[in-house]
Order: sequence, then C-alpha cells, then structure tokens
Amino acid sequence: MNPATSTSALTGIVLNIQRYCSHDGPGIRTNVFLKGCSLRCKWCGNPESIAFKPELSYDPKKCTGKKACGVCLKAPFPEGAFYVVEGAEDDKVRVNWDLAGDCDEALASLCPTGALEMFGKRMTVDEVLAEVEKDESIYRSTKGGMTLSGGECLLQPDFSAALLKGAHERGFNTAIETACNVPWAYIEKVLPHVDTMLHDHKLTITERHKKWTGVGNERILANFKKAYETFPDIDFIARTPLIPGINADEEHVRAVLAFIRPHKNVIDYELLPYHRFGLGKYLSLGVVYELDDYKTPSADLVAHLQAIIDEAFGRTGK
Amino acid sequence: MSKEIGHASFLRRIAIMVGAGHVPGLNAVIMGAAMAAGKLGWEMVGIRDGFDGLLHPDRYPDGGLLPLSPQLIENLDPNAAGLLGQAPRVDPFHVRRVNADEMVEEVDMSDQLLKKLQAEGIDALIAVVGGRGLSILYKLHRKGLNAVCVPRSIENDIAATSVSFGFNSALSFTIEMLDRVRQAAQSARKIGVVEVLGDQAGWLALQAGIAVCADAVLIPEIPSDLQAVAARLQDKVTARRPWGLVVVAEGATFVDGPKAETKPPSLKASLSPLATGDASDHVIRRSGQAAETVASRLQLAIAEETFPLVLGPWVRGGAPTAVDRQLALAYGAGAVRAIKAGNYGTMVAFVPPDVKFVPLADAINKVRTVPRDSEFIQVARSLGIFLGREL
Repeated sequence: MNPATSTSALTGIVLNIQRYCSHDGPGIRTNVFLKGCSLRCKWCGNPESIAFKPELSYDPKKCTGKKACGVCLKAPFPEGAFYVVEGAEDDKVRVNWDLAGDCDEALASLCPTGALEMFGKRMTVDEVLAEVEKDESIYRSTKGGMTLSGGECLLQPDFSAALLKGAHERGFNTAIETACNVPWAYIEKVLPHVDTMLHDHKLTITERHKKWTGVGNERILANFKKAYETFPDIDFIARTPLIPGINADEEHVRAVLAFIRPHKNVIDYELLPYHRFGLGKYLSLGVVYELDDYKTPSADLVAHLQAIIDEAFGRTGK
Repeated sequence: MSKEIGHASFLRRIAIMVGAGHVPGLNAVIMGAAMAAGKLGWEMVGIRDGFDGLLHPDRYPDGGLLPLSPQLIENLDPNAAGLLGQAPRVDPFHVRRVNADEMVEEVDMSDQLLKKLQAEGIDALIAVVGGRGLSILYKLHRKGLNAVCVPRSIENDIAATSVSFGFNSALSFTIEMLDRVRQAAQSARKIGVVEVLGDQAGWLALQAGIAVCADAVLIPEIPSDLQAVAARLQDKVTARRPWGLVVVAEGATFVDGPKAETKPPSLKASLSPLATGDASDHVIRRSGQAAETVASRLQLAIAEETFPLVLGPWVRGGAPTAVDRQLALAYGAGAVRAIKAGNYGTMVAFVPPDVKFVPLADAINKVRTVPRDSEFIQVARSLGIFLGREL
C-alpha cells in the first residue's frame, strides 16, 4: 500500500459507507454515500440522503414501547415530539415529525434501543479513507476501489475531491455517481480525481425533468457535455432509473443514446429498473412517498430497451 | 388586541388560510369566518394557496391576499371549489424552492411568515387544516402566532372533536358508491371488496358499512382474521343470495399480516445506502393494497368470485352535505369567537352539544380511533355485520 499522503481534517456529511459493492464501477468497491441532494426525484429510493444535515430516523421495530422504556416521552426530548396512541394495539412510540425534526445526535443517543438514530454524520477525510482502506487487498485483486455516491456527492466538492485524491494516492480506482445538477465549478474540482463517472440521464424533455425532479435539465446536459469534452480520460457511464409511465420508453433511451454516442469516452449506458423497495426509509423519516402507484418495469420492456442500447454500442448476442 | 396600521376603518385585520387537499365545505368555513368577522367590524383577508400567497406574493398578479369583502362573501357558492386555492404542501418550516444555483432545497421560512403577517397588519390567523397541519400550526403558535384552527378531516380522525367537517360529505358519497357496488355485486353474483379511506381510523368504513348493511367491515382498530371473514361469507353467501359486500379501510390490518414485498435485486441493493439495513424491510402500502389483499386472500378460501375496488381519494371532492355546510359555517364563525376571546393556540371543536375551543396540544399526537365499546360497533354487531373477528 502506498503510504497515505493526505492528513486532511476536512470534514463532510457521510450517510453510510458500504463495503463489497459490485455495480458502481469496476471490480469490488466501497461505496461512500454523502448526504445532500440538489434534486427531488419523486421516485427517490434514498430519501435519507436528500437533506444535507444529519437527520433523525425512527425504526418502530426496535422500539420497546412506553411501559418498557418511554425515555423519549419526557425531557429533554421536545414536548410533543414523541407520543403513544391510546387504545392502540401496542404502546410503541409514534413520532410527530413536525416537532421532532430538530432532534440531534445527542438526543437520539439517549434512546436505549436504537430505535432513534441519526441518518448521517460528520466525518473527516482521513476517517472515511481509513474505512475504505480496509478492503485494499480486494481492490488490488479485482481492480476495484472507492465510489462516491449520494445524495449528490458533488454538493460537497472539496470533501469529495480530497477523498478521491486520497484514494488515488493509495492506488485505488475512483468513481462517482452523480446527476450533475451543480455549478460547473463544483465539477471542475472533483473530476480530475475520477476514473469513472456514472451519471444519470433521468428525463430528456426539460419540462418533464422539472416536473419529476424539481429543475429543468439544461444545465445538467451542458455539464455532461462539458465533462465529456474536458476530461477525455474519464470513463463515463450513463444511467437511467427506469420508471414505467415516466421514462421507461424507447424515445427516452434513443434520445440519451443520441446525446452520448458522439462521445467516445461514454463507454456504456445502463438501465436501472425502478423498484418500490426500501420505501420504509420514508416511514423512518416521516416523509411522504410521492410516487405511490408506479410499478416495476416488466422484464420484457427492460430487455427490449437493453437491446436498443446494445445495438447502439455494437454489442450483439446479449 | 388592537393594531396601529393603515386599515383605519376596521377594528382588526385577521386572515384565513386553508391547508393542503380539498375537503367539501371549505368555502362554507370561509363564509362563516368572514361573516362573523364582518359583524364585529373586522377586516378579513384570505391567504391564497396555503401560505404561498404570503410567502410568494410575486406569483400572484392580483396579490397573494384576497380581501374577503361582504360582496364577495355574499356571492360565494358554498358548493364550489375552494375560493383560496391550495398548495400541495403547507409547511413554512420546510419550504421547497430552487435556489440561485438552480438547486432544490428546503428552507425554514417560518420567521419570514410571521414577519409578513405582522407587516400586513394581520394579528390573528384562522387555519383550516387537517392532522398534520395542526402540528405545524402548533409549532407556529409556539413561535408567537395567534392561531385558531378549524379541523378538517375526511376520515374524522382528529382528536378532541366529535366531528371534523368534510367527514359527513365523504361518508355520504361513500355510501352512495357502496350502494352501486352492491347492485353490481348482486347482478354479477360476486363479492365486492371495497377499500375506503381510513389509514388509522375506521369511521368511514364502519359507518358506511353499517349504512349499506355490508357483510363485513374491516377497520384498522380490529386486526382481521381473513379465515374467519371467509367462513362468515360462506355462511352468508347462498344460492338465494349469491353475492356479498366487504368494506375495508385502507389501513386495515390482519392477524397473520400481509405478505412482505419481494427483496430488492442485488443491483438496486448495491445502489442504496442502507440497503443492507433493517430499514429496507418495510414497505409503504400503496392505495388499493388493502382491497387487493382481502379480495385475493378471500378468493383462496371461498368459491364465489371476489373483485376489489378502491374508492380512495374520490371522496374528497364534490359539494358538502347539509351537515358539513352547517358544521363548516359554525366552525368558521366559532374561530372568530375564539379570536375575539383571545383563545389562541386552540382548535374549534364540536363537543356535543357545544362548539368549544380546545388547546392544540390536546388535539395533536392523538388519533380519534373507533373504541371497542363504540355504539357503532354495537350497531354493526346487532345487524350481523362481521368486524373481522369475533369480539
């Protein structure tokens, strides 16, 4: 291992560090999920990554109830933030998210069962890299490394750049997963330290992009194009979260292909079929899930769209 | 309390706002409040689209505040859609916006809201809100807002009041639709399984189910044994009566629990920060799931064909019933009485036979559920309506 040259105490908000991942860049990887996102995609499967600051979460399965515990029903917890429903089948605590939203890590740590915990914590670059280094031998044998994901990792450009630089210094492959809805100045800081950039083409028509994510896509597409042209050595992989009724159609896939194919450093286009999984995280955060009735795309549809991509990339027999 | 701003012809200036989501009778509340305020010589204005009219006046060429003049109120149709419009979300503590860098973010505009109210010379606010809105108004009240709430709920699940306006209209429409389903079930010789609103409280399912003499009513308060429901249906559905009707609240629970959704594929799991954690095990019910679950599981146990239907959010629309119009007018006028008496931080409540003002703290964090000893439970049992399991 190369000795670490970064001793940076620079900090960022990290949601989670997930080891042994295999889909977000080459080889086996450690995914570092940073908190904060600049889009509000209605299908988002990771609501805990949206807010920039650490936030309270509640897992009712871990709550032992008022009679057995009841710690959060009294001071120092905010008045009215937690309650039980009289006459309910159980005496588990319920959360009034409007009154509990300001609870911090110190308060959450008072919950003896871990039902209350924080999504996200502030970490230094060195702390994150120390965790990433644990699988150094696996990276070497699989040509893997570290992937920054989110949220939107580019929202913390200095922290991300320092992490990626530190990973490079250790000889790890680096990747980021991004939607690129940030000023170019943020991207410019980070991309010099990136080997692979996975980037989302969510919707082609800007009005529809605005409807489903909160903003139009003009700047995003401009950023993609500029990134392709400014950083020719990066492997770019386009992605689409495939949602029937929103973007799971041939027109979108062909529009993305038309955008990316002129750029030879865009080496692939992946489809990510939407799945209503993990939505309990919305419950854990007290957030309303806005995309209630959409279904997972059929295997036939995914195969049809994949065939179009394979043909565009000159792949046959898949 | 008096004020010293430029509305000299009025003794006071108060505002009214409406929370997210339509409920029949909104205009009647506005009428009741405006007429009562006018009688006191107060000026009343309506805030357009939740708090948006105040927080984002630039979006409204005619102004974000609508003066509720006597002429306007006299000509207001209580059956029409809400005069003040609505915003999809009404939470000044988390206002979503696109910032100067074209990035979406949520910001706390509660201080700005209070300042704008003050700048407009508005010294009290009537908020027509549902369960979550009560918490937000409670939080605003703790920050100094002179607020009085009017409870609105399709499901009648707001605590501290016997009835919220909107419920009776939803109940009437639900009964009408259930009558039609029953006719369809009779002619098709099938068992209709109809999902109605009621995530935590089964009032709508129970009272509508009683009105149409359903075979079974499944509510969140009584976890249902679907084997027992099937057995009861087998008894009731005969050659002479080859049809059935089951009413299920959307939040109904089952003693052996609904089947969990499938685990995520490994690709998606890899992309999700907490995919390996316990949090991934939950799922959120989508609308229609209760009807689907009940219909499909009954189908496995009985010979007759079942068919699921979802009434869902349709019942939120339409004109208010006579009961809701009276209630809404009374609540609007009651809110003005509360302001006159200085009863801020309260909710207008119908506690038979009186309209009272209860502290918001007593209304939040509670759900008005159906008690096991409710008279409606007794009535249902007397009519032979099965309530999911033997009580």
